[in-house]
Amino acid sequence: MSSASDPWRALIDLVRPNRGRYLLLALAVTLRSLLPLVGPLLVGRAVDLALEGAPASDIVQLGLALIAVAVVGQVTAVAASGYATVLAWRTANQLRLDMTDHVLGLDHEFHRTHTPGELIQRIDGDVTSVSDFLGQVVAAFGGAALTIAGTLVILAAFDWRLGAGLGLFVLACVIVMVWMRRQAVGEAEDTMSARARLYGGIEERLTAAEDLRSSGAGAHAMARFVDDATFNYDTRLIEEKAFLRLWWGLQGSVVTGAALALILGGWLVSADAITLGTAFVLFQYTQQIRSPLEAIIDRFELIQKASGAMVRVAKLRAVRPTIIDAAGTDRATSPPPGPLAVDFDHVDFDYGDDDPVLIDVDLHLAAGRSLGVVGRTGSGKSTLSRVILRLVEASSGTVSLGAVPIGDIPMGELRRRVALIPQEVQLVHGSIRDNVTMFNPAPTDDEVEAAIRRVGLGHLADAGIHQTLGAAGSGLSAGEAQLLAMARVWLRRPDLVVLDEATARIDPETEQRLEAAMVELLAGRTAVVIAHRLSTLRDMDEIVVMDYGRIVEHGDRHDLEADTTGRYRRLLDLALEDVEEMAAPADVAETGNQRR
Amino acid sequence: MRTLDGKPDIDDTDHYRRRGIWSLAWEISQERKREFWLGYAMFILFFAAPAAVGWFVGQAFDALTDNDTSRLYWMAGFMWLAEVFRLAVLQVGAVAFTKSWTLMSSLMQGNMLAAQVASGGPEAGQPVGSAGAAVTHFRDDPHDVAIFVDSWLDVSGAIVYTTIALSIMATIDLPATLVVLVPMVAVALVTMVLDTRIKQYRRADRQATAEVTGLLGDILSAATTVKVNNATDSSLARLKELVDERRRTAVKDRLLNEGLYEFSNGTADIGLGLVLMVGAGAIVAGSFTPGELVLFAAYLVWLGFLPRMIGRTIARHKQAMVAFDGMRRLVAGHSAARVARQRHLPIGLDRPTPARLDAERIPLQELTVESLTARYPTPSGNGHGDDQGADGRAGIRDISFRMARGSITVVTGPVGAGKSTLLRAILGLAWQAEVTGTVRWNGEVIEDRAAFLVPPQAAFLSQVPQLLSDSVADNIRLGGTAQDDDVARALRLAAVETDIAEMPDRAETMIGPRGLRLSGGQRQRVAAARALVQNPELLVMDDLSSALDVETEIELWTNLAAEGVTVLAVSHRRVALERADQVLTLDRGRLV
Repeated sequence: MSSASDPWRALIDLVRPNRGRYLLLALAVTLRSLLPLVGPLLVGRAVDLALEGAPASDIVQLGLALIAVAVVGQVTAVAASGYATVLAWRTANQLRLDMTDHVLGLDHEFHRTHTPGELIQRIDGDVTSVSDFLGQVVAAFGGAALTIAGTLVILAAFDWRLGAGLGLFVLACVIVMVWMRRQAVGEAEDTMSARARLYGGIEERLTAAEDLRSSGAGAHAMARFVDDATFNYDTRLIEEKAFLRLWWGLQGSVVTGAALALILGGWLVSADAITLGTAFVLFQYTQQIRSPLEAIIDRFELIQKASGAMVRVAKLRAVRPTIIDAAGTDRATSPPPGPLAVDFDHVDFDYGDDDPVLIDVDLHLAAGRSLGVVGRTGSGKSTLSRVILRLVEASSGTVSLGAVPIGDIPMGELRRRVALIPQEVQLVHGSIRDNVTMFNPAPTDDEVEAAIRRVGLGHLADAGIHQTLGAAGSGLSAGEAQLLAMARVWLRRPDLVVLDEATARIDPETEQRLEAAMVELLAGRTAVVIAHRLSTLRDMDEIVVMDYGRIVEHGDRHDLEADTTGRYRRLLDLALEDVEEMAAPADVAETGNQRR
Repeated sequence: MRTLDGKPDIDDTDHYRRRGIWSLAWEISQERKREFWLGYAMFILFFAAPAAVGWFVGQAFDALTDNDTSRLYWMAGFMWLAEVFRLAVLQVGAVAFTKSWTLMSSLMQGNMLAAQVASGGPEAGQPVGSAGAAVTHFRDDPHDVAIFVDSWLDVSGAIVYTTIALSIMATIDLPATLVVLVPMVAVALVTMVLDTRIKQYRRADRQATAEVTGLLGDILSAATTVKVNNATDSSLARLKELVDERRRTAVKDRLLNEGLYEFSNGTADIGLGLVLMVGAGAIVAGSFTPGELVLFAAYLVWLGFLPRMIGRTIARHKQAMVAFDGMRRLVAGHSAARVARQRHLPIGLDRPTPARLDAERIPLQELTVESLTARYPTPSGNGHGDDQGADGRAGIRDISFRMARGSITVVTGPVGAGKSTLLRAILGLAWQAEVTGTVRWNGEVIEDRAAFLVPPQAAFLSQVPQLLSDSVADNIRLGGTAQDDDVARALRLAAVETDIAEMPDRAETMIGPRGLRLSGGQRQRVAAARALVQNPELLVMDDLSSALDVETEIELWTNLAAEGVTVLAVSHRRVALERADQVLTLDRGRLV
């Protein structure tokens, strides 16, 4: 099965760097697996000694030996399982980090179609299954194999027929297990997707909790939860029944094997081929085989989970970004230092659904100039910003920054030199500092504080930048969050700044107070500013008006303002009419008008 | 220690003294009685069966000692039958208990979710901050409680088995039976000693896990932000710190649990060694036969099970306590009893879930807000309404105003003035703040504003509204009775009609997780349609228009004015202000 072999190869790749550690673990597991075989030999010997009429002291010594072996066995077992856990977590944590890195490298489109809850389930839930697999199952499996091999060797030493009989029996059990295992992987995947749906749904409802509360939609949310929980319930039952079939197969064989061992032992004893003590050893070993095999079955759920999880992990790892980093290739070219010129050469774009979002966009913005972009919702403005940041790639045509095609600029350099301040600011669970630096330890606290103050969030700096921001940013209003996003960019000193409705949630008064800071932020940089509120654009050098994915007007701002038949002028007039009507109330004068 | 709601960790061990973990878990287990008790009975039979198996094996070896082969074959046959019986009861028991287990988890999840989405009333719980971190309480905590209940089956079965086995052994050789009790008591004692440790490690592990999922959730929700801020490496470095910490806590937790398991597992052989030493005389004398020794060996294998399960149950009891401690933060009054309350959700049944019931419409004549104050907790603990809270949230102080039916009131003011807080305080949604003052509906005081101010009385549109992975129409109806016409009308009023008409399945188009297939502006307008669909008496909007272009916004306001909707809105825009009958300007939490 090719689908199963790929994840296992991925697993081997994970284990390889820790080869030495895994060898040490193997040693501990070996000791732990072989020690239990000693017990039945000692008891069997006691049975024979009793029948031979040996002195009681011999039996007492056997009892002592049995206790000593048991104690050593326990210590080894704890050491082995502890070590296995450490190793498993090391490996799994590495996998978590790799996967997070991988997922962050995937396209914008990928993140648009996958919930964070679903991805957490992959990166954390599934990887935990893999970790459990490495920590508990591998050791259990290896140990079980060793115990079985040891058993066969010892029995064969008594009488080859015993070894051969038990060997055949084990073979039968293994065939049954392997066959049933094949059936199980698909079902495990069903279970995990049922759980992903359940927890993804819960996360989504928690995220939307305030909306649901204020809409009186609690009953609706619960009804959807019941649907998801019922799906999970049905899937769990199917899984349990599959597991029970497997269990019947194994236990049925072991039970039958034990009965046969009794009969075989009895037959050989009555034929005087073996002693009663050896018959006991045979029976006991048949019973003991049950426990390594059962250990495997007990952990079979984990194996099923882990195989399902590895399949999904492998699937996720196989998702390739369509946007390829030029770093390290011949193409890699750095644009000249300083502000970056922006060139669109007949650029088209659609999200892969034949519904064009950008149509034949042709645009030249010289280095250090600022461009304002206006247009209706859905006119392609945000897509324009995503193309400049290479979050999406033009379907045709070329975008160049500093005369270098964007695809040839190493991603690291692009991210360093181009900054975006988006409309919807995402905050993280952490300190104010973490939210401004995005966990980067390089900027000093003073620099961070200065940036926060510069964007007008002085009260946050007063509270102390190591103060925790309310969970998921609940402590900031949307406007304050936008100011914080501005502080992020402030710290980075990029060469090109893209503002996508970056001040939409900031009231005009505050925006005006920010004007000096904005001018400073944009000075010496190329800037693309997308805004509904025309006052935001009053300092721009050039203006572009977009409509249905096309540039319908582009020119110097002063020229467009003067062009009475132009689209930009019409928008201005629309906003201006408002101003004239509203001139009266003094306390609300600072609003979205054009003031020059 | 930081908690989900940002409040100091409340240590109320008293709480559990009043209502123990046992009684809470018991109530949960009885959510669906039939499945629980069927599983319970079957598992007792399953665990007791080895007593019969061991007895037949002993008889077989005695027959062998006597060279009575035909009796040996009979005994081997009986042993086989006893084992098959064991398998059969497991089949029935496992299916029944899987049902019971899943339903128990769903009950706890349902109780927490219901508290998180309840509009008000006694059931509504304090909102959680981070949904990503809260998912742990839905995923892992119910599991820990269910596995605690699961251990009752094991313990009950083990008690039955142990009683039978010890009785039979005592009739064979009393001293050898008594000596077997020594390692059993040791297992129980070791478990007691490690008891408290288990709880500590468990708690640390939970905390570390919540930190990891919380950060992962943040990073993944903000994937684009991380990318465009060139912060992939630094975010991963932070994640590495957290996962390393979790590794340490997990290893401690696991090591202790596994250590306990292995210790009790090895006691069978220690017990048998003691039996050989104590019974040596009787064995040599022939009064303790080989068959009886085999019976001892067979019984000892399972005798370790009871002390082990007692130990595990104690450990799981601790883990269940940690779990309840986490879960109760999501329900009303932080009360663990509410997590356990029976709910009889129709999961796996052909019974419909209770439908949404909306309150009777009470036409609004006048809304009066009187001396409304909301204070957020400050670092020093003494809240001042005009100060910002510890985490930067703006409070409000002594706000009073009235609005009449059909009027439009616009709230404006600089960032951090408390505009959103004012709306939330009116609506009963300012959970983190201490709110005083009254709101009257037609002159009558609204007692539970969160419960009353929902459709059809009021609808709220927040600054960043959240949608669900459903169709457009389902997002608007939210389980209500709105007809297709109502939805179409709401879409038109919200100025999103043409956008939806261009979609492949129109209003039935699925909009993806959290509605992410829509643009930001479309999401906001679909949410506006959701608010308008039930013709609310009062529409409360928190700066809805920030994602809209001027033309769309004018269209929206024109529609609202034409419909005569009573509106309370935060806005800075001229288009809103020009239509306002009343403008409230806030500055640092006060009306100016």
